Amino acid sequence: MNKQIKKIYFDPYLFFSLFLLSALGLFFLFSASNADVSIVSKQFIYVFAGFVIMILVSQPDPDIFRRNSGFLLIFSLLLLGLTYLFGPEINGAQRWVRIGPFSFQSSELLKLAVPIYLSNFLFNKKLPIQRNEILISLLIIFFCFFIVFRQPDLGTALIIACSGLFVLFLSGLSWSFMGGSFALLILSSPFIWNILLQPFQRQRIATFFNQDSDPFGASWNIIQSKVAIGSGGLFGKGFREGSQTQLNFLPETETDFIFSVIGEEFGFLGVLFLLIIYLFILLRCFYLALNARDRFCRLVIGGLSLTFAANLIINLCMVVGLLPVVGMPLPFISKGGSSLISLFFAFGIIISMSTHKKFLPQ
Amino acid sequence: MIFEERQIEKNNFSSRAIILFVIIILGLFAVLVQVFTLQISGYNDYQLAALKNKNYTVPVQALRGEIFDRNGKVLIKNEPTFDLITQPNLIDDIDSFLDEIQPVIFLSESDKFQYKKLQKEKAFANKELVLKKDLSAAEIARFNVRSFNFQNAFIAKRYRRISDYPDIFSHVLGYTSRTEDAYKSMPEIPRSHWRDAELVYAHGLIKGRTGLEEIYEDHLRGSYGERVYEINAMGKLVQSLSITKPLKGSDLHTNLDIEAQKSAAKFLGNRRGAVVAIDLDSGGINVLYSSPTYSINQLSNGMNEDDFQILINDPDKPFFNRALKGRYPPASTIKPAIGMYGVSKNIVNWDFEIKDPGFFTLPETGRVFRGWRKGGHGKVNMHKAFLVSSNTYFFSLAYQADIEELSSHLTSLGFGQKVCLDCFDEDQALVPTPEWKYSIMNAGWVKGDTVNLGVGQGYLLVTPMQLANYASLLAKKGAFNEPAIVKQEKVKKSLKIWQDNKFNDSDWNKLHQALLGVIESDYGTARSIRDLKKFQVAGKSGTAELVSLDSKEAYQEVRTSELLRDHSIIIVFGPMPNPKYAVSVVIENGESGGAVAGPVAIEVLKSLINE
Repeated sequence: MNKQIKKIYFDPYLFFSLFLLSALGLFFLFSASNADVSIVSKQFIYVFAGFVIMILVSQPDPDIFRRNSGFLLIFSLLLLGLTYLFGPEINGAQRWVRIGPFSFQSSELLKLAVPIYLSNFLFNKKLPIQRNEILISLLIIFFCFFIVFRQPDLGTALIIACSGLFVLFLSGLSWSFMGGSFALLILSSPFIWNILLQPFQRQRIATFFNQDSDPFGASWNIIQSKVAIGSGGLFGKGFREGSQTQLNFLPETETDFIFSVIGEEFGFLGVLFLLIIYLFILLRCFYLALNARDRFCRLVIGGLSLTFAANLIINLCMVVGLLPVVGMPLPFISKGGSSLISLFFAFGIIISMSTHKKFLPQ
Repeated sequence: MIFEERQIEKNNFSSRAIILFVIIILGLFAVLVQVFTLQISGYNDYQLAALKNKNYTVPVQALRGEIFDRNGKVLIKNEPTFDLITQPNLIDDIDSFLDEIQPVIFLSESDKFQYKKLQKEKAFANKELVLKKDLSAAEIARFNVRSFNFQNAFIAKRYRRISDYPDIFSHVLGYTSRTEDAYKSMPEIPRSHWRDAELVYAHGLIKGRTGLEEIYEDHLRGSYGERVYEINAMGKLVQSLSITKPLKGSDLHTNLDIEAQKSAAKFLGNRRGAVVAIDLDSGGINVLYSSPTYSINQLSNGMNEDDFQILINDPDKPFFNRALKGRYPPASTIKPAIGMYGVSKNIVNWDFEIKDPGFFTLPETGRVFRGWRKGGHGKVNMHKAFLVSSNTYFFSLAYQADIEELSSHLTSLGFGQKVCLDCFDEDQALVPTPEWKYSIMNAGWVKGDTVNLGVGQGYLLVTPMQLANYASLLAKKGAFNEPAIVKQEKVKKSLKIWQDNKFNDSDWNKLHQALLGVIESDYGTARSIRDLKKFQVAGKSGTAELVSLDSKEAYQEVRTSELLRDHSIIIVFGPMPNPKYAVSVVIENGESGGAVAGPVAIEVLKSLINE
């Protein structure tokens, strides 16, 4: 016991790459916020808290997550329900829980709870997994997706759905089932477009397919983002020198479009450097997933890191104009506490699961 | 779970994880390719787009050129004044701002009202608005001491277009006023940026509206400079990046003569009329005056609505430029032209005599055309006909004329067309032809119409400008310069030559002798002005009848209504025998050409000759 207490569970590769990413994030945020020290200080506190949480979360044996996964899912859903009923409305959406001076986006918790719960549900099932298990998993995924989607928060809802589907896929979903579902999705797309999507979401998608249609209205964001990135060139305009950013032509510079700030001020080389760091983190996670101690840990590490990847790629594709605009932050860089804390939480779990070894097979 | 099953599961997991990982790599690669496309391939386009976003170019107004008289004295200049300028978009509460500034800068209620009205209409994001123009030295001093209280207001030097002779030169120089079309001169600056133009004139972006200011607008305006500002997404100016200075407009050197113009104004007084004087060597217009007149300083620098209405509604029509647009019957001043026609068509010669009983009877109808003197002038040859202005002589000459030939002869003397090279809105008046009469009156040309032309009555209408042009043709014996206000180097001019084989040098000399006699001889109709000067002058006066009457008695009745009285007209040139200047004078309802219009013409000539 003494030996175990003294040992600190720690992954130097992830720790230092996340440290580098967060430090760069604060640096970029300083420029993106027009040198607003209060925003950067607040974000610094979140980053610091994130690291503490990550280290704390990575200490206990991962079994604790497996044992409490059901509780975690129910707790997340309850919290979401409370937000739905009592939360303050910001920009037409009820997403926030207020705890003292900090507000927390309750749906962030589901990003963790869904893959952990599904991993727990599926890890000891016989391969290939059976139809009933698939249906129950899909039902849970759809239910979680739907309540977040109704907030409305399409970005987070998509990420939650992805996180569940990744786990399902990794745990051995049959290819024929996937083919059938995909066909069904295509067939039901008119229904999704007409019934499920909000008008502003429809407009964003329409804008994506015709980007020059309304340069001062709906297309403004994506056009200005492309102008910002494109005008950065190879070397960028320099720190705090990006005219698109500093003169506010670029919207949402601190959150969704912070990648465009990096592109404008640090150019292609800056973008390349940033993508290499992300790639390194993903490679490390991939390695840890393959070498995890058991099926549950494999599924959780795989699910969480793929969720992180999806989050990253959706944001990048959105700001460079490859996907319609959906609200989604750039992980570890964008302003905002909720997503940052939940990311650190996820990486804490990943580290915990990859560092705790089992000496005896079950 | 047994070991083998675990191994299968692990392999299954690995292969699926690899698939997803490859998809992720592909996603990141797609992003990188897109970023490459934007930043490397599309760099030039996006670079330009980013500049277009932030760079905001505004025009910088240039000072207009100044206008000078023929002796280099300034006629219109740019006078600096100090204006209080505000930035209304930065003022939260306009009323309390006005109350605070009231003790510093005196503001009348109408000043405040105007300001608030403009502020509502024209307060754009960066727009400056003038609160008070032309501050006094005391106001400037008071404001400067307290300027820290008024962060949103400042004093700036702004120019006004000012003439030291605002009234006498109004028609010829013209005025400027605010324009909305300035953007057309610089299409590279978007129209919406012009509201933020950097101004040098208190009156904003101005443009010549009449007179030389209009005719020579391109010459006087100069070229706009450009200032490039950096703006943010809200359109607020952040900083000035660069400036291309404007080029001041070129000055105009005219043939106008301040002293002669002053004489014209002084001796015409408050009567309605016009004076035009031409320098015979150059064709330069020395005097172009129309009365009554108005102040161009007021019009150019903001006239209040009431004063403007008074001018507009004045029955004497001060805006009407009588020198260029007044259509008058030339009356007896046309007689030299008719005489030239008679000689060149072999209808008469200088020795041909008629007996003048005081009237002419049209053989076809028996209609009687009366002369100005009851009983007539007895035996009259052409020389005497000019001196005593015998109507009968010219009635009978015109009776023998072919109207088509006579019309084209009058046209060749400059009537019925614009004659000035750089006059604003000149009227071409009218030389009648049978076609003209048929189309306008739906009636055929009759012999009586031609007979009336012989004494400059009837349908023929001329302007004072045309009369002066005609006088210079007569003075220069047919070889004369086209009239122009601005000095020759600026205007492409040509020598006009009126020639007719049948009208030779000795005819010209006899004509000059006769016209000299009109003023200088004891029998001349304009002999009353003979002693007003020391040099000799040739000329011809006329009295244009506005109503056709058969008797003096009838006229005495008409005369009680001033507007029906005859117009007084004269053309003169001198000093003889080598004339340097030609002058035409028309005085509306002035009666008796020689005695009324004559002295004005002589005084103008005296000023020009510098006597």
